[in-house]
Amino acid sequence: MKLNSLAYWFIAFLSVIAPCHARADLVVVTGPKTGVPTLSKEEVINIYLGRYRRLPNGLPAEPLDMGEASETKKEFYWKLVEKTPAEINAYWARLVFSGQTRPPATVNSSDEVAARLMSRPGVLAYVEREKLDKRFVILYEFDR
Amino acid sequence: MVDKIKHLPVFFFLHTLILVSLIFSLPVLAAAEMAEDTQARISAEKLLFRGFGTLGIARSSSDQADFVRDLSQPKGLSDGNWSARIDSILGGQLNWQMTKELELVGQAVSRFRYNESRSPEIMWAFARWDITPDIAVRAGRIGADFMMLADSRLVGYSYLAARPSSDFFGPLFFHHFDGADMSISKPVGEGVLRAKVFIGATHEKAADMQRVWNTSGSHVGGVVLDYWQGPLQLRANVAQIRFSNDLDVSPLPDFLKAAGAFLNMPSAFSAAQSLETKDTTSRFYSLGVVYEANGFQTQAMANCIRHEAGLLQNSCAGYALAGYRSGAITPYAGISAWKSSRRNQTAGLPDIPPFANLNAIYSSVMETTRSDQRTYTLGVRWDVKPNVAFKLQWDAIRGDSRSVFPVRDEQPGWDGRTNVISITSDFVF
Repeated sequence: MKLNSLAYWFIAFLSVIAPCHARADLVVVTGPKTGVPTLSKEEVINIYLGRYRRLPNGLPAEPLDMGEASETKKEFYWKLVEKTPAEINAYWARLVFSGQTRPPATVNSSDEVAARLMSRPGVLAYVEREKLDKRFVILYEFDR
Repeated sequence: MVDKIKHLPVFFFLHTLILVSLIFSLPVLAAAEMAEDTQARISAEKLLFRGFGTLGIARSSSDQADFVRDLSQPKGLSDGNWSARIDSILGGQLNWQMTKELELVGQAVSRFRYNESRSPEIMWAFARWDITPDIAVRAGRIGADFMMLADSRLVGYSYLAARPSSDFFGPLFFHHFDGADMSISKPVGEGVLRAKVFIGATHEKAADMQRVWNTSGSHVGGVVLDYWQGPLQLRANVAQIRFSNDLDVSPLPDFLKAAGAFLNMPSAFSAAQSLETKDTTSRFYSLGVVYEANGFQTQAMANCIRHEAGLLQNSCAGYALAGYRSGAITPYAGISAWKSSRRNQTAGLPDIPPFANLNAIYSSVMETTRSDQRTYTLGVRWDVKPNVAFKLQWDAIRGDSRSVFPVRDEQPGWDGRTNVISITSDFVF
């Protein structure tokens, strides 16, 4: 009995301190003209964190980010590098205020994502699988 | 004292450009926010004003020396008095994306400076040209890349602790230089390797209570290698500076030369020469590692500095810092050390008056750049909002009584020990 109540409090404590994450099925996509079939997780990290923005076929990579308050964005970075929005902001504050690499361009709607992905090759975005447009090419799947 | 920053025509042009852009950028951004169409917002992204700052108060328990953030600060904290002096900073930055490849960046920062003022200084004013996704060139006023991850040590929000380790970064009072750098990135194995070379001239000054050391016109150059793979970053860095000016220790060198000539003693001449910093080179070597995963943030760096000038003692320093994020709270702990090696040079004059005094003064001046201390750090960071963090930090500095280089205004009773408590609020916008 005593042990049970300890376990209860331990779980209650964990649920308070553990960050809460939604479980949407996210995929990284590009437009049909990019000409790259797939990316590794490391390549997605390099592109999104601005370490190396070139696709395996040599094309410059242009990643898109969702707006600040987006749950999709929050979950994407958690799945990618286990960082919270505050940590991602701190990461970009380091680089932006050093005049180094730029953060990904921000878009605010799935229409805008689609428009940008179709506009030219090399543009990348993360979307929920259920909102996937048939014209998109999946480059990386988190839950596979 | 007014900081007379040398203006090359290109910098003057950039400064003007930045000021003008600044005036126009705010209405543009405001208008863009109201505009419905996407095109207007995309174009507004090309001109961006951002800012950062720290409101910080801290106290240092010792009444025998001032604790400073780095050696650019002429005064610090003492006597247990709370003060906002060393950590409070406000900065603004304008980025102007002219084309996809070309960007202009200007940054002005107000902080406590060598002349005890907080008058804004131009930190960066450069053009960045992304020749390809792998090669970037920057020219103008750019940052000296000493810290892991970033050129700037002033954006409190961007790092875990209240301030970059004073043991490690204390002697690196250079924050920027006028010149150029070029970086090349290549995928290597699973990760990315970036090599950066930089060259230029500094125009910064450092000061303690009595003297200002003007390093304007000193040539700097170096190479930085970074390797990233997943949560791991490794760094190796070699940099050097060739000083354009002497540190003012007059009239000691003249007295030593006069005594040397009078007694025909070469040791006195070489002692006089050891006090000169002009046309001497100092080299900085460092290695670092960062590992961030599963809520853990860990980093460690080590450096050694080798000076040709005898007056400046060679030193090595290192720090390790680790934190664990639990929700919005990140407790952290760190340890650092900074130790210089004493030079055994003496003036070698006979031990009789008045020469004995010269021997003693020479020996004491050679000890002014001595450092031998460790710092133990405990703190907690609270990310209140995605752009605001509070930090509470305790530093215990445990050093030798002769460790006087890291502090300011040391008194005879300085025992190398002080406890510093810091409370900061860091923000970016």
